[in-house]
Amino acid sequence: MERRREIWVGAVVMFGIAVGVVGTMWLKGGWGSDQVALRTASTSVGQLVAGASVKFRGVAVGRVESVTVVPTGEAVMVEMTVRPDLAIPADAAVVVAPESFFGDWQAEITTREEYSSLTFYEHAEDGVLAGAALPDFSRLTATADEIARRLKVMSDRFEIAFTEETAMNLRHLIDNLGVISDDLTTMISQQAARFDELAVGVTESAREFTAAARVARTTMEKMDGILTDANVGTMLGDAGESMANLKTLTGDMRAAMTELRTAAQQGSATMTRLETLLASAESGEGLLGRLLGDPELADGATAAVANLNQLLADIKENPTRYLSFSIF
Amino acid sequence: MSIQLDELRKSFDGKEVLRGFTLTVEDGETSAIVGPSGCGKSVLLKHLVGLLRPDGGTVFVDGQSVPELRKKELVRLRRRIGYVFQFAALFDSMTISANIAMGLRRLPGWDRKRIASRVEECLALVDLNGLGERYPAQLSGGQRKRAGLARAIAASPKYLLYDEPTTGLDPVTTSVIDRLILRMRDELGVTALVVTHDMTSAFRVADRITLLHEGRARFTGAPAEVRTADDDVLRGFVDGDPALYYGVQGGQDDGA
Amino acid sequence: MVLFPVTGHLSRPFAASGRSTLAALGSVGRAWALFAGSLRAIGELRVWGPMLLPQMARVGVASVPIALFIATFTGIVMSLQASYTLTGAIPHYFVGTLVGKTMIMELGPALTGLTLAGRVGANISAELGTMRVTEQVDALETLAYNPLAYLVVPRVLAGLVMFPFVVLLAIAMGIASGWLTALELLDMSSAEFIKGLRLFFAPWDVWFAVIKSVSFGAVVTGVGCFCGLQTEQGAEGVGKSATRTVVISSMLILCLDAFWAATLL
Repeated sequence: MERRREIWVGAVVMFGIAVGVVGTMWLKGGWGSDQVALRTASTSVGQLVAGASVKFRGVAVGRVESVTVVPTGEAVMVEMTVRPDLAIPADAAVVVAPESFFGDWQAEITTREEYSSLTFYEHAEDGVLAGAALPDFSRLTATADEIARRLKVMSDRFEIAFTEETAMNLRHLIDNLGVISDDLTTMISQQAARFDELAVGVTESAREFTAAARVARTTMEKMDGILTDANVGTMLGDAGESMANLKTLTGDMRAAMTELRTAAQQGSATMTRLETLLASAESGEGLLGRLLGDPELADGATAAVANLNQLLADIKENPTRYLSFSIF
Repeated sequence: MSIQLDELRKSFDGKEVLRGFTLTVEDGETSAIVGPSGCGKSVLLKHLVGLLRPDGGTVFVDGQSVPELRKKELVRLRRRIGYVFQFAALFDSMTISANIAMGLRRLPGWDRKRIASRVEECLALVDLNGLGERYPAQLSGGQRKRAGLARAIAASPKYLLYDEPTTGLDPVTTSVIDRLILRMRDELGVTALVVTHDMTSAFRVADRITLLHEGRARFTGAPAEVRTADDDVLRGFVDGDPALYYGVQGGQDDGA
Repeated sequence: MVLFPVTGHLSRPFAASGRSTLAALGSVGRAWALFAGSLRAIGELRVWGPMLLPQMARVGVASVPIALFIATFTGIVMSLQASYTLTGAIPHYFVGTLVGKTMIMELGPALTGLTLAGRVGANISAELGTMRVTEQVDALETLAYNPLAYLVVPRVLAGLVMFPFVVLLAIAMGIASGWLTALELLDMSSAEFIKGLRLFFAPWDVWFAVIKSVSFGAVVTGVGCFCGLQTEQGAEGVGKSATRTVVISSMLILCLDAFWAATLL
């Protein structure tokens, strides 16, 4: 009786300890001793925290152990532990980037070549890998939001009687669109190094957009001749201002989800209106129809609008698809 | 003058159970306290081992004032007192032998062997030979009381307190217990205090009988004196006559 | 009456609230006395030492099956409900995160604690209550035993020591059943579930669970002992004590749960 009790109590205690220790070690994702330490420094680390995964060619190979600001305050030191059998390339660098849409970031061991567009931070100390951080997705979503807002403004202006001033504004707007799309293209191409598949789709749209904007601009240049008081200098100044506005756009990652939905909704509503307007313009109705009578402009704009519309609708309908691509 | 109670007072929730009870039990004497159920007899006994503290009056056992004893001294005193509980109060998770051995295990210098032989001795003394490995639930009421008695005498106490030792037993078993009580006095020379409402038993075992009535000692005397006394309340209790017993206070039945 | 001129039935609410206040203060005082006495009684190793192992078997080992049973179904429910809640935009592997995090930090310790309040607390209370009303506690004292050392200390220590182990096993069971559910009913892969499980895991979570369960063990066994030893009036009293034990220890467990969450997180 006594002996059996001893055995049982012992069994529960030993098993409990085993479950606690082994479980903790396992969930921590490493068995401690056979890991090697690795350090990198970067000017910023986004939302990287201790416990985030370290990846090499997309494979999880370790964990971030600590994230601290260096004493001088000019950079952030990230300490990692990785598998000992990992063959790290000679010109290895670390890119800190979002792992998914949900605020979990990762540190990717890569080479500088792969991210030639990024500026890497070089730490003076030996054995510290160069590091850089990609922009947050929230900036992308904010850009998309901005595009949608500007499109709405554009459609609103179409609705106002088409005056000289309106034509000027339209021209201005199309200029801005060109700037936005350029900006978007730059950002996406930065991300593209890591998110090829999605990037193709987005870049495609962006390129279409750029093309459309270019067509629109050409048309407007023709229109410029008609408009007597058009001050090109002012227009260019306005465009610069819009660009600055766009650059300040940043958002909270968590709020971005809702933002994205709203943006998509706004965008699609705008698109519908825009399509209607463009359709009536195509059929040559009214002053607007005549002004936009140029078939090249109409075709380009329609195509761009349809394309963007499709992208926005897709984002709204299947956010998961973009999530699994780890972009939005 | 081994047990001495003077003007003992105790009340529970404002109800006075003992209202100045005075009693003396001499060395080697077996004294009985009688009275109806619920009149405070058990309460009295619990004062003697320090389970209850008096509200007033003094309690002396073996020359020591029980309420004033420090914990260690109280433990030492308790080793000299055997307490036989009303329903035996055997630990029902243990065998009878283990029950009897409980008190002995706390004594210095008692090894396993000595305890085992003492347990056998005690079992023999109360005629429970061979039942040591049973559990309390497997014994009859009379056997349980005897086991309780065996546990109380195991450490060879100088004093034995019996709380209703014969309550709920048939007449034959009652006389067996009574004989055991006498045997303890004669063979072990203990000073005993028996609390009971069974007059037959009291007459059989006691050298002196005290009637506890309304929280006080109404009458004290040898059994022969009790039989011949002309106190109405005592007569009423001994003869089982409610009219006489309650007559003094107008037939009220307020129990204690 | 001169100082407080309300008389007759008007005074009753005052008297009643006064009485219950005094009773509550009395309970606190008695609980404190029990606690202080038990602390002193820890010195009597020779009295409680031999009783510890049987109590550990009773409090710990015998509670494992019920704890595992509860944990199994908690894990299943957590897994299914997590997938139900996380539809659409949130990736599937968050089911693992939710199951792991809640099992370790909250449901493992708290649900096991509440279950054992019923199983262990009521059991201790009924046992000690019966011992009290059949004068076995008094008998212990007359045999020169300190009931706190003999009855309370081994039970509370057994609770302190064994609860964390029972809880750790329950947590492991809950995560395992949640995992299995995710595999079989949610069409998730093990890799996905483990990814989620590890996502926000910190070793401190396990310590948090251990600290919580130690305190729950002390509460369940301590309240059981307290209510048991306070038992009055026969079999009915024993029943009342058992009920009181479950109610009081459940309330204390939830309060402590909130307390630890507020102080340790």
